Amino acid sequence: MSVFKDAEEVYAFIGGMFEKAVQEPSFIEATKNTGLVVLVTQTDPDATMLVDFPGQKVLVGDAAANATPTVQLRMSSDNSNKFWQGHLNFTLAMAQRKVKLDGKRSVALKLLPLTQPLFDTYKQVLRDAGRDDLLV
Amino acid sequence: MPEVQMTEAEFEVYLAKARELSLFFREIGPKYDVDNTFAYPSIKAFKDSGLGALPVPKEFGGPGGSILHTSKIISELSKGDSAITLAYNMHFIMVGITMGLMSETQNKYWLGRVADGEIMFGPFSEQRAGFSGLADMKAVPQSEGGWRLYGKKTWGTLCEAADIITTNATITDADGNLPEDFQERVNAESFFIADFNVDEDGQGDGIRIEKTWDALGMHSTGTHVIHFDGLFVPEDGFICEWRSGAFGVLEWASLMFASIYLGMQYRVLEESRAVLSKKTLGATFGAIVAQDTKVATVGHIIDGIGDMASRVELSRRVLYQTCQDLIDGKDDEWPLELRFPYIGLAKTFIAENVMNMTRHAMSMVGGSSFRRGTIFERLYRDSAASMFQPLNSDQSRTYIGEVLLAPEQLND
Repeated sequence: MSVFKDAEEVYAFIGGMFEKAVQEPSFIEATKNTGLVVLVTQTDPDATMLVDFPGQKVLVGDAAANATPTVQLRMSSDNSNKFWQGHLNFTLAMAQRKVKLDGKRSVALKLLPLTQPLFDTYKQVLRDAGRDDLLV
Repeated sequence: MPEVQMTEAEFEVYLAKARELSLFFREIGPKYDVDNTFAYPSIKAFKDSGLGALPVPKEFGGPGGSILHTSKIISELSKGDSAITLAYNMHFIMVGITMGLMSETQNKYWLGRVADGEIMFGPFSEQRAGFSGLADMKAVPQSEGGWRLYGKKTWGTLCEAADIITTNATITDADGNLPEDFQERVNAESFFIADFNVDEDGQGDGIRIEKTWDALGMHSTGTHVIHFDGLFVPEDGFICEWRSGAFGVLEWASLMFASIYLGMQYRVLEESRAVLSKKTLGATFGAIVAQDTKVATVGHIIDGIGDMASRVELSRRVLYQTCQDLIDGKDDEWPLELRFPYIGLAKTFIAENVMNMTRHAMSMVGGSSFRRGTIFERLYRDSAASMFQPLNSDQSRTYIGEVLLAPEQLND
């Protein structure tokens, strides 16, 4: 059974983290001119988020699925919860096919250094929502 | 891939130096193959040539040669003597890998030293599982900061000439215990750089060379066992997590090994032509019945040399185009998981061709090539080493096949 009840929880917490990130000045500076538009596709529960870093916006659900990403990231919602708290080794998860990353290498590699600062943001989003049960 | 900073005119100067050094390697190579030791006179010659600085970017004091420039230099040197060049190839591999992973400060310091002529090497393989094995070697955290390394590396190529060591080890707890959890162990495997100071007997503070190298071929590489008996690495000697870092830059290993074997292919063709264009058998009564048999007129010899030349040209194109594709960023179009094995295809293609050529050369030249000390038996022995450096053909096919056969759904 997934740690998330439904897609709405995924959008509220993981999507919420992205909402904060795209408005954060350091992220805006780090991602301008990168073309980094990430489609995050999760399973169990199914959820789709599009994070447009240069455009500073986050789309969810059908709106996200119909947009055009430059990088696609797929994983289960449980692994996503672990990953965005810094508890999933990305290289190992790729090798074990727990995570799938598609897109141009030069663009995709710009995503990885950005993930580390998001770990604290995600954990804070969970704490603020009183969802300590999701902390790993 | 760093931008290409070196002009072709600048490169010509380095190529001329490589041609000169290659002749020296060719001259001393047979002696060190027979002696079964590292080719010690090569150290001063290599340092004097300034070639070791070739890939160092201009901002760190080097000439900024590209991966293609470096490949051409290695092949030129390998044409002279593949075994001696395979030793120095280790330096170029580690310079290429480290410069893609080190911080600006680290690059300035360590690559600055390389630009000044110092030599870098990197033992990674361990007895249990070679390069693919997670490091059993331990990096034990010290209360004053930094780590002490304990363990053994079995493939310390170039250790007898090196000033700088790079290696991988797994960071333990304060008591020296490796992480029990698999993911934690992967996370803890780390890439380090440090000074390599040993005396003429190979003894240093917390590190020593055990001279064990005795193999079928590549005698003069000096590929000994390195014992880490508490080598201290300060905090600024930590480069990155090893596996996540390495996979982005392993082209420096794969394509430089390919360059060695391309150089060997040039040499095989050169030596085969030299013998077979002149060899006369006189009167023969066997597969060929003739009053005077000139080998160069025999059909399978003509075809054989044509086949060799074709393999050399195909290998050259595959290697140079792969280097150029990386420089041009065309690897962007490859599936991410297949980037490393696709780059490795150049090495596996060239390795299979050079082994074919050394065997074929002996077959065409005849039994005299089998005698110890001839160039053909040496090339035959040395070419066998191409089976092993990562990725080998089997590993490449496994990588590619697994990705292509993987189901769409993820493993959870």
